Amino acid sequence: MERSWGRAKGAFAAVFAPPALFLLAFFLVPMGIVWAFSFGENAGLTAIAVTGTLDNYARALSPLYLGILWKSAWIAALTTLGCLVLGLPAAVAIAFARGRAKAWLLVLVMLPFWTNLLIRTYALIAVLREEGLANQTLKGLWSLLAWALAGAGLHPPPFRALELLHNNTAVVIGLVYVHLPFMVLPIYASLERMDRSLLEASLDLGAGPWRALWDVALPLAMPGIASGVLITFVPAAGDFLTPDLLGGTRSQMIANVIERQFKRANDWPFGAALSFLLMYLTFAAVAGRALMAGRKAARR
Amino acid sequence: MKRRRPAPLDYLARWPLRAVVAAVGLFLYAPLVTLVAFSFNQGARNVVWRGFTLEHYAGALADRELLAAFGNSLTIAAAATAASVALGALAAVALWRFRFPGRAAFAGGLALPIVAPEICMGVAMLVFFARVLPWPAGLPWPLDLGPIVIAHVAFCFPFVAVIARARLQSFNREEEEAARDLGAGEWQVLRDVVAPHLGPALAAGALLAFNLSLDDFVITFFTSGPDTVTLPVKVYSMVRFSVTPKVNAASTVLLLLTVALTALAVRLQGARALARQA
Amino acid sequence: MVRGRLGRRSLLKALGAAAVGISVGGLDGCGPGTGRGRAGGEAPRLNVYNWDTYIGRTTLADFRAATGVDVNMSLFATNDELFAKLRAGNPGFDVIVPSDEFVQRMIAADMLEPLDHARIPNFRNVAPGFQDAGFDPGRRYSMPYTWLATGIGYRKSRVDGVPDSWKWLFDSDRYKDRIALISESADVIRLGAKYLGHPIRGVTPELCRQVEQMLIRQKPNIRVFHDDNGQDLLLQGEVDVVMEYNGDIAQVMRSDPDLDFVIPREGSLLNSDCLAIPKGAPRPGNAHAFINYLLDARAGAEISRTILYPTPNAAARALMPASYRDDPVIFPPQAELARCEYGVYEGARTQQMFEEAMTRIRAA
Repeated sequence: MERSWGRAKGAFAAVFAPPALFLLAFFLVPMGIVWAFSFGENAGLTAIAVTGTLDNYARALSPLYLGILWKSAWIAALTTLGCLVLGLPAAVAIAFARGRAKAWLLVLVMLPFWTNLLIRTYALIAVLREEGLANQTLKGLWSLLAWALAGAGLHPPPFRALELLHNNTAVVIGLVYVHLPFMVLPIYASLERMDRSLLEASLDLGAGPWRALWDVALPLAMPGIASGVLITFVPAAGDFLTPDLLGGTRSQMIANVIERQFKRANDWPFGAALSFLLMYLTFAAVAGRALMAGRKAARR
Repeated sequence: MKRRRPAPLDYLARWPLRAVVAAVGLFLYAPLVTLVAFSFNQGARNVVWRGFTLEHYAGALADRELLAAFGNSLTIAAAATAASVALGALAAVALWRFRFPGRAAFAGGLALPIVAPEICMGVAMLVFFARVLPWPAGLPWPLDLGPIVIAHVAFCFPFVAVIARARLQSFNREEEEAARDLGAGEWQVLRDVVAPHLGPALAAGALLAFNLSLDDFVITFFTSGPDTVTLPVKVYSMVRFSVTPKVNAASTVLLLLTVALTALAVRLQGARALARQA
Repeated sequence: MVRGRLGRRSLLKALGAAAVGISVGGLDGCGPGTGRGRAGGEAPRLNVYNWDTYIGRTTLADFRAATGVDVNMSLFATNDELFAKLRAGNPGFDVIVPSDEFVQRMIAADMLEPLDHARIPNFRNVAPGFQDAGFDPGRRYSMPYTWLATGIGYRKSRVDGVPDSWKWLFDSDRYKDRIALISESADVIRLGAKYLGHPIRGVTPELCRQVEQMLIRQKPNIRVFHDDNGQDLLLQGEVDVVMEYNGDIAQVMRSDPDLDFVIPREGSLLNSDCLAIPKGAPRPGNAHAFINYLLDARAGAEISRTILYPTPNAAARALMPASYRDDPVIFPPQAELARCEYGVYEGARTQQMFEEAMTRIRAA
C-alpha cells in the first residue's frame, strides 16, 4: 500500500531526510568533484585544471581499455556464478536449520570474513601455491591411490602439481572467497521470513522436499537472489587487490588500471574518467535490468 | 528403526546439502587453518615452516601500534555499522512506502556507492576532507576518526538498504491493514509492524556492514592520517616484506574473540528461550 | 520465534566489539605526553612515514631513551602511495622516506621543507659520494638513508651458471614460467632500454614501443609481475629468476644459501631512499633531531644490521662486521656499479608513456 508523500509528511520527512542528506553531502558532493576532474587535465604535479576537455573519455573508450573492461566483466561473471553455486545451498541450509545450529552456521559462514582481507588472501596464497596445502593434499591422495593401484599391478604417472596460483583461476577462486557472504546474506534474509505455509502447502500437494524448494521457495526468494547477484558482481568487477596479489601476467582487471592511474601515473583526470566510465556502464546494466523487470511485471 | 527420517523441510539433515555445506566449510576454512598454523611458526617470514613458538603472540600483544590500529578498526566498524543500519533501514522504508517526486533518482543514487570503484571514492573523500570540509586537526580520540567513519557509512549503508528492500518486498500487507484497522497511525505502523519484519534483514545488513568496514583498505587509506591508522592500512603497508607471523597471531586472537563473543550471545539467548518455554 | 533473536545477537556482538575497541583504542589516547619537551616547545612526539621493516629493531626505543621523543611510525608500500597521501596536503607527518626520483618530484611540486644543516651535524658521517646528489643539489631537502641496486636474484640449483644478463628476463624462454618482474613500469621499461643498449635517461617513444614489443613477446615466459615481494617468491620456489633489489635478496640469502644475486653486465638502475621533512610538518625540531640521530654511526649500524641494505653512512659502515662490509651482494664491486645509473624523473608525459606501455603489455 504505497502512499503519496503528501499524506504523511512528518513520517516521510523523518524517513527520507537522513539518508538523502547523508548521500548528498558525503557521497554526491565528493564524487561530483572527481567527476569534474574527469573533464580536466593535470596542471603541474599536484593541481588539476578543469577545462571541460573530453580527451580523458576519448582515451578511456579506446580498444585497449574497453578490452580490459570486457575481461573484468567476464571474470566478475564467473565469480558470481561460483558464489551462486556455493552460496545458494549454504543460504538454504542456514535458513532451514533449527535453533542453535542456525545461529552457529551463520557465524561460521561469516567468521572467515572477520579476518582482515589481506591476511586472508596471503593465507589463500599459502594454500594455493605449488607447495601449498591444496597441492600437498592432492599429492597425498595421489600417492594413496598409486599405492592401492600398485597392488593391482597398475602404475599411474607421478603427481604433477596443479597450477593454482598467479593465473585467472586463482583470481576467480580468490574473488569467490572474498565475495561469498555478499551472496549468502541477502538470500538468507529473503528465505528466512518466507511464509512456510506456502511450502507446506506444496508438500501437502505431493511435492517432494527438493521439488518444493526448487519450484516454490526459490522463486519466492528471487528478490534476495537478485540483490545477491548485484552486490556480488559489481564489487567483484571493481576489485583490484585480489587480482593484484593472486593474478598472473594475464590477470589485469580494470580496477588495477584505475588504481595505477591514481597512484603511479599520477593522472587523476584519466583515472576519474575510467572510474566514471565503469560506473556509467554498470549503472546502465542495473537500470536496464530494472526496466526489464518492471516491464515484465506490468505485462503480468 | 535406526535412522529417523528427516522432517520435510529439514534440508540440513539430508546428505546433498550436508555435502555442499561441508565443501563450503572446507573452502572457507583451509586458508584460515594455515593462517593459525603459521602464527606459531618460528622465523620472520610466513613462507616455510620452521618450528613451534609463541613469540609472535607475545610480540603482537606487546605491539602498541598494532593494538591501537586494531582498536581503531573495531571502533570505526562499530560506529559505522550502527549508522549504516539506521540510514539503510530508513532509506529502504522511504523507497518502499512512499511515492514522491525524484523517487527513481533516489533509488539510483543509492545504487551509486555500490557501483563506484573504491579508489575513486577514496580520492573523492581525500579531496573532500582536504578542501570542502576540513576536519579539525588535533581532536581527541575517537572524534579524530570522524572522516573515516563518515566515509565508511557512505559506502556501507546502500548495501544495508539493498538487503532491507529485498526483505520488504515479502512484507505481508494484511498485517499492516490489521494494524490500521485497530487504529494505528502511520508512524506506529512503521515502528511496530514494519520494523520487526525488517529484523533479520537488518541483522544480515549489520553483519555485512561490520565486515565491510573492518576490512576496508582503499577508502580508509585516503581518509586516515598518521594518528588514525587502522588494521588493514597497517597490514597492507607491510606487503613489501610479506605479512609477518605477528599479524597472523593478531588475527587468530581476533577470531577467538569473535567466537567467544558469539558463544556468549548464543548462550544468553539460549537461556532466555528456555525461560520463555517454561 | 526467530524474530527478536538475531537482532539481540548482533547487538551483543556489536556492543562487545565496541567495548573491546574503546578499551584498546583508548590506550592510544593516553600515550606518553610526559618526557622532556623539545626545543621550541614542541610536544615530544614524532610522526614518521616509512617503508616496512626499514628501521633497526631498537632504533625507535633508543631514540626515545636519548631524547624523550615518542616516535609513531606509519608504513607505506610504494612511493606512489606516499605521494598520493601527501598530494592534497600533509596529514600530519614529520619525517618521510621517499626514493630519489620522488624527492625530485616533491621538490618540483614544492612539497618539501628545506633542511637546516646546522641541526644535522652527523651529515659528516655520510660517504663523500652521497654528500651531494643530482636530484637534490647541495642536499637542501633530503639526507641519504640507504641506497640500492636492481638486479637479478636467482636460485643457483635451478639455473645454468650465473644469469648475468637481462636477456634471461626479457628476451629468452630459457626459464619459461619461472620469471618474475617488478610491476613498476618505469623500472621495467627503462631497464629494457638498458638491455637494448640505451642509457636509462631519455627513452624516446620509439624506443619505448620497441621495449613494449619485446616484453609482449616475452610475456608467455613471465609468471608474475610482483609487487616488491619477489624475494619471497624466490624463497618459496614459485620462481627461479626474479628482478629485485640487492637488499631484499641479501635478506633471503640469509635463510637459504641456494640463492644468489647478480647485477647484469648491461648495467642497471640505482636508487637511493632519503629522509625528508614534508611541508607543513607540525614538529620540524623533532624531525631534524630524528634525522640527525639516524645518521649517527652506531644508530646507522643498528639499522644496517637489521635491514641489510647498503648504507651511504661511511661511519656506520665502518662499525659493521666484515660479513656485511665485504658482501658482494650488498656492496657490489665498483666495476659493476660503474655500469649502473641513477634514474631521473623526466616529467609527467614520460611517466604516462611508461604506464600506458605497461598497461598494453599486461593486457596483451
